[in-house]
Amino acid sequence: MAAAFERYHIETKDAVLKIKFPSKFIVKRYNNCLNVQECTQTCIYDVHKRKDDGQVNEPNTDLCRGCHLCTLVCPKNGIVLQINPDFETVGDSYFTPDKMKTISFEAETGRVPVSGTGYKGLFAGKGFDGLWFDFSEIVRPTRDGIHGREYISTSVDLGRKLPYLRFNSTGILHSQIPQTIEIPIPMILDATCPSANRDSLRLAVVKAAHKLKTFAIVKADEYSNGLIAYASNIIPRLPGEQVETFTHLIKISQIIEIEIQNKEKITELLEQIKTHNQNVLVSVHLPYDETSVEQALMLTKSGVDILHFYLSDDICIQDPERIVTSIRMVNTSLVDEGVRDEITFISAGGIAEAAHVPKSIILGADAVSIGRAYHIALGCKTCYGKNHTFDCPLLIEEEESEMVSQRIINLIGSWRDQLLEVLGGMGLRELRRQRGERGRTLFYEELEEKTFGENR
Amino acid sequence: MRQIVQLQLPDIKIAPSKYLNVIKKYEVILDRGKCTGCGKCIVACPEYIGSAPVDYEAFQKPEGLLRIVHPTSFCQGPTCQRCMSVCPTNALSISLNPQYRMLGDVRWTSDMISSTWKQAETGGIPPGYEYRIGRSEGGFDKLRFDFELVDEKQPDTISSKEQTIDTSLILNKSDDGRPKIMIPIPVYGGDMSFGSVSLNVMLARARAAQAWNSFTSTGEGGYPDELIPFKDHVITQVATGHFGVNAETIKRARIIVLKYAQGAKPGLGGHLLADKNTPDVASIRDVVPAISLFSPFPFHNVYSVEDHYRHVQLMKDINPHALISVKVSTPTDVDMVAIGSYYAGAHILQIDGGYGGTGAAPDIAKKNIAMPIEYAIPIVHNYLLNEGVRDNFTVMASGGIRTAYDVAKAIALGADGAVIGTAELIALGCKRCENCERGRGCPSGIATTDQILAHAIDPEWGAQRIINLYRSWKNQLDYILTKLGLESINELRPKNSVKFKQGFFNHLIHLDHRR
Repeated sequence: MAAAFERYHIETKDAVLKIKFPSKFIVKRYNNCLNVQECTQTCIYDVHKRKDDGQVNEPNTDLCRGCHLCTLVCPKNGIVLQINPDFETVGDSYFTPDKMKTISFEAETGRVPVSGTGYKGLFAGKGFDGLWFDFSEIVRPTRDGIHGREYISTSVDLGRKLPYLRFNSTGILHSQIPQTIEIPIPMILDATCPSANRDSLRLAVVKAAHKLKTFAIVKADEYSNGLIAYASNIIPRLPGEQVETFTHLIKISQIIEIEIQNKEKITELLEQIKTHNQNVLVSVHLPYDETSVEQALMLTKSGVDILHFYLSDDICIQDPERIVTSIRMVNTSLVDEGVRDEITFISAGGIAEAAHVPKSIILGADAVSIGRAYHIALGCKTCYGKNHTFDCPLLIEEEESEMVSQRIINLIGSWRDQLLEVLGGMGLRELRRQRGERGRTLFYEELEEKTFGENR
Repeated sequence: MRQIVQLQLPDIKIAPSKYLNVIKKYEVILDRGKCTGCGKCIVACPEYIGSAPVDYEAFQKPEGLLRIVHPTSFCQGPTCQRCMSVCPTNALSISLNPQYRMLGDVRWTSDMISSTWKQAETGGIPPGYEYRIGRSEGGFDKLRFDFELVDEKQPDTISSKEQTIDTSLILNKSDDGRPKIMIPIPVYGGDMSFGSVSLNVMLARARAAQAWNSFTSTGEGGYPDELIPFKDHVITQVATGHFGVNAETIKRARIIVLKYAQGAKPGLGGHLLADKNTPDVASIRDVVPAISLFSPFPFHNVYSVEDHYRHVQLMKDINPHALISVKVSTPTDVDMVAIGSYYAGAHILQIDGGYGGTGAAPDIAKKNIAMPIEYAIPIVHNYLLNEGVRDNFTVMASGGIRTAYDVAKAIALGADGAVIGTAELIALGCKRCENCERGRGCPSGIATTDQILAHAIDPEWGAQRIINLYRSWKNQLDYILTKLGLESINELRPKNSVKFKQGFFNHLIHLDHRR
């Protein structure tokens, strides 16, 4: 009997890190203050407060929201507002300070970032910044998912699907329907950063995946016994050459992921894996590169269930355009070959804000794997495993794991809500319909050429 | 046959900033060790000449340098340097104020905000500020008029001849017997509801609209009684939430705008956070206070173009003298929407681009959904032209139009005029700190419903600021048209399809495509 319908909901609650994200502004008061209290009366964010003795306190910079008012009303012009240099040095050119601050906010509160005044950034940019979603001016009745009147599904299926069904002459279904696993959000959690090798972190990530009803990837050699309780939400990632070493993981998992150099041997490897667990889905983890297209086609034909392509953080920083072209390339080649629906395509890389999830999907991925972004939510400073060894904020203690787990849940919860905003705006009520929706994507280059180019 | 329209423009009156200090672009730093106290610099400074004894204050900086601060000084920076050149001991240096860098963003740069403030104060443009474009690296910021490239540094000076330039716009271009409403500049005020902005701001905008014989809009938050004296200059908005919309407010208006979507949050409807839904707001909107107010998307009585036709006709039936404006955002099929609205009987199409202002919107929607206005205007213009109805329909562009130059560029791309929201708020003192949406709202008293904060804006002062800004814009439009050798703003709108050739079209140059 089918289980009773349960509306998917992500429970968010405040989760605050010990080390706060640096505030964006700093307010300085010079020593010519006459204590006239103009600033304390003007500031509505309590940055400027009186002390008990009536003197004005040092400004509480963390609360400042950059409205400039105190600097404008001070009769001695003794208050200066600046961007915090600490804030500006956070992150890198891809994970900009503002993006990291947004992730930090989402992880702390689980809310959708809402602000007044219009858009403040560049007109368009490279990569994910160079495309917009189309929206529907007139939509079908009661297409109102955002305010909860109609349910918008964000579920995706992992696994292979048949291009068509085969029946025998008596009308009995002949095809064997392959097994798929439905996850309620198009996001899985990638393996933890190698510089933060600690069981408590992995346990927190896996717990978050469990609560979110999705999957977390754990490298096989880091798969400790403490994680086995959550095996149904873990995708162990094992090197293709050592499958035999990890047969116990294959047996307890729904999905496994392999990394394999010699892709020619994939068919035998699949057979070998299926002898240990008939129902396990096999994902292949491989980088986006020049050979992606042929590898994708070859792996699809050889019977792999999931393609998990990734682009390393370094490449994203050097060439933000790369992730967009890579996803489009793989998707287009699968579509052209007529096998797109037979395989699940998970993309990883370049996911730095909520909008990048639907953007990856509209470019052609089924789901995305989130890596660096959830690390940032936990306080990662984007050193990419280079600088930090002992003071890495990801080296969490056992007792923090609940909070860490909650931060990941908050982040994903906020991103899902924002995904719903996009789907609502586009007039879609199923995420599956958004995949590869080329006609509902507005590309910067194309619009630019159409409007200001030669009008061919 | 061109009718020369002599217009009575409202007077410029100085409306100074209500703050003691300004966010200066440059600051003068004095090396105390070298200063002899001769005072030559003070005399040399054009900002100080003729003023009362200078009340300048200096204070300690960590490096032992002094920062000369005059509360109202508007230092012109490296272009002036008179103080530096007269200093006998080279004790002065000029540097960019670090706080200035913090003001604004790439779309609304610090220069643009400061110059808009200055225009609102004096009706003129301050020297040394880039008031025409921002730094967003695309769209209007990459478009130039051809004369700008020849003569980039030329200041906008107006001779008496240019005053005869016709910038007026007739909003009703159809022949359906409804009034031929004319506005003296091709710009009117955008939709901002009571609730998103304070009543004083609405009154200031309404007064300015009255002085200009132009329009402002109620937004979707109902029609406060205080606006009734200005009813000839207030547009009633009918939006999906129907807050405070009734036959009476529809009958009152000369223009009714049906808001189908808003560029900043297309497809998402409106959202007033509970904090700002005070008892005053709730009473005008006929709702319960202190709950979040959603106006849904879309109109639940409009699911097809036929429904749209009936919707427009319904409004026409309720008010037989009003013009109907349809506000839509910019999907790929915005051309279809435009022609649909035309045949539904609307007089004005307002296309609201993705980068427009808003009281509160999810950040993901502001950037990522629907295309910027720069692309949408040519699509709509070309399509209406091909259908042969372009001259019978008014197309107003909005959403990301910040300056007079943006207005002119939008018109040169195919719009008839522009609808302005954010620029008016900047004139009232907005600093774009983006804290409009929650808590007590705007600390500057603009986008707030807090009764104490709202008093920060005096309607009369605010109206004068907006009047001054538009006078300055009018001058700039006159200047642009003179430079282009045109006599009327209607001549700037392309008569044929928008087709850029090697980056050139209709006096416009796109820097990225220029060959």
